[in-house]
Amino acid sequence: MVLPRRWRIVLLAAGLCVVIAGIPALVVFLGAFEHSVVDAAVEAPLTAKQIANLAPKGRYIAAAADCVACHTTEGGAPWAGGRPFEMPIGTLYATNITPDPETGIGGWTRAEFQRAVRDGVAKGGRHLYPAMPYVSYRQMTEEDVDAVYAYLLTRQPVRQENRRDSLPFPYVRQFMTFWNLLNLPHDVPSPVAQKSAAWNRGRYLVDALGHCGECHTPRDITMGVIPSRYLQGAVIEGVDAPDITPEGLARLGFAPNRLGDFMRSGMGPQGVMAFAMYDVVQHSTQYLTDEDAAAMATYLAGDPPPPLPAFAAADLPAGTKDNGHRLYVAVCGGCHGLAGEGTPNVAPPMTTNAALRLPQPTNLLTVLITGLPWRDFPHGARLQDMPGFTGLLTDQEIADVANYLRATWGGRVPDVTPATVRGMRPASDK
Amino acid sequence: MSLAKRPLSLTVNDRAIGPIEVPETLMMLDFLHEHLNLTGSRVGCGQGICHACTVMLAEPDGSWREIRTCITGAQFFAGKRVRTIEGHAERDGQGNVVALTPIQQAFIEHFAFQCGYCTPGFVTAAAVLLERLKRRPIRRSEVEGIIETALAPHICRCTGYVRYYEAVRAVILATPGLVVG
Repeated sequence: MVLPRRWRIVLLAAGLCVVIAGIPALVVFLGAFEHSVVDAAVEAPLTAKQIANLAPKGRYIAAAADCVACHTTEGGAPWAGGRPFEMPIGTLYATNITPDPETGIGGWTRAEFQRAVRDGVAKGGRHLYPAMPYVSYRQMTEEDVDAVYAYLLTRQPVRQENRRDSLPFPYVRQFMTFWNLLNLPHDVPSPVAQKSAAWNRGRYLVDALGHCGECHTPRDITMGVIPSRYLQGAVIEGVDAPDITPEGLARLGFAPNRLGDFMRSGMGPQGVMAFAMYDVVQHSTQYLTDEDAAAMATYLAGDPPPPLPAFAAADLPAGTKDNGHRLYVAVCGGCHGLAGEGTPNVAPPMTTNAALRLPQPTNLLTVLITGLPWRDFPHGARLQDMPGFTGLLTDQEIADVANYLRATWGGRVPDVTPATVRGMRPASDK
Repeated sequence: MSLAKRPLSLTVNDRAIGPIEVPETLMMLDFLHEHLNLTGSRVGCGQGICHACTVMLAEPDGSWREIRTCITGAQFFAGKRVRTIEGHAERDGQGNVVALTPIQQAFIEHFAFQCGYCTPGFVTAAAVLLERLKRRPIRRSEVEGIIETALAPHICRCTGYVRYYEAVRAVILATPGLVVG
């Protein structure tokens, strides 16, 4: 069969299009656009003495970078990996980074480790998924990554095979070259000369080590962070990671000195670290030195910080106010204080609580409905559980108390409806 | 300054109470002690950890739950039905105790308590558990686990935990209809 001439031309053109589009795609796929920020000098291995000298620093850097939170599974050996990360298309598992030669990183060279952390490319050229925050760690200094490498090599080796991810097909990893082209900055930013040393150190702690933006900066459809909305807050694991820009923090009532304390102790006038931030305090920020905690706060809260806005309670319809106040006294005030002043070492104050000042009621409602577990905090502190009220209060009652709290001490428009509450109740309780 | 008051009516140990004018900010434990002279519910930690202050609160469906009275306002109980430690044992017309409940008897027989301060809370927890098992029996293999869960929030500084636990288990196993299979 001979196709009409017209069809042959159409097919030929289509074929050309595929080739023209395909060649660049293939080039990207093979990683030709990938740019390493790792210097060739790291091909030289560290000596045993260098490793011994760097390891103590590595312990601190690894804490500041919160490596252990992901690379240890619940009840598992430290650094041996296995923690699952549920993704829309499958489950990833954190890897074993103990120095076991076969299942860990004992066989990795210094350069391989550097490229994994800062380029997102593991030993053997295997691309990492950005669940490993190499986009942030890319900004780490060579020396700090060496220090972490030295620290990990001096840990107890644990023989534990890495679990294979459950993604539907195995070639996804190489497609990370496209993702990296879109989302992995080519180079790392330099210190800003006009800013103070504390601000620059703080930026390094926030952006490179703490990788705060991985949760606090919203992501676009490619799952890359949106640079123009840097640290402006995002939804993560069903709750709001707040806006932690200087303006955002000022709206929540954080002055820099308070913020530094909050990062280290996990509690303060602005409330108690909850959800994923509890783990961050527990594994990471509690270990920051005075100077580093202050530097982090200087960078986040601004240098100079914007003035804290004057607080004004929002108007509340009389009925809601009366109901809300009654409910507050009935089930909140016993611990949080009848005037919202809190009880030291028992329950945080409401009057200055950041969770009440968030634009959305999500975090407050989550706590009201499901409660929070008891927790250990740094320096021997411990807080009892906050009970959830899902079985005790109706949708209307939870909405009333939420509106009362948000309007009275959050200055937020009382817009929580019983339907909002209902939508957030656990399925077993609807 | 005088405290704002509000009338309160509720049912305590099957007796209708009120309306009584009580301060809006009064906690239930203080109401029981000061207004009703029901002093069996204990003040322990005052912050909801020790559970010595718990009483039974009736749900709309007639089932019961435990509730801490030291951190729950009296006005929360308006129109509700509660049972305090004074409302468990059987009494005669003059209010004298004529028979303890099986769980109270079992705590005595097992020497479960020493100073007795936490006992009202443990009786409450065990009674709520037994009421629940009457409505929804469990399998034999679940008994130990469910006792642990039910008693776990209660603190006993004389450490009578094992004896409390054994007493509750004995009552559950000896009471027909709580365990199936």
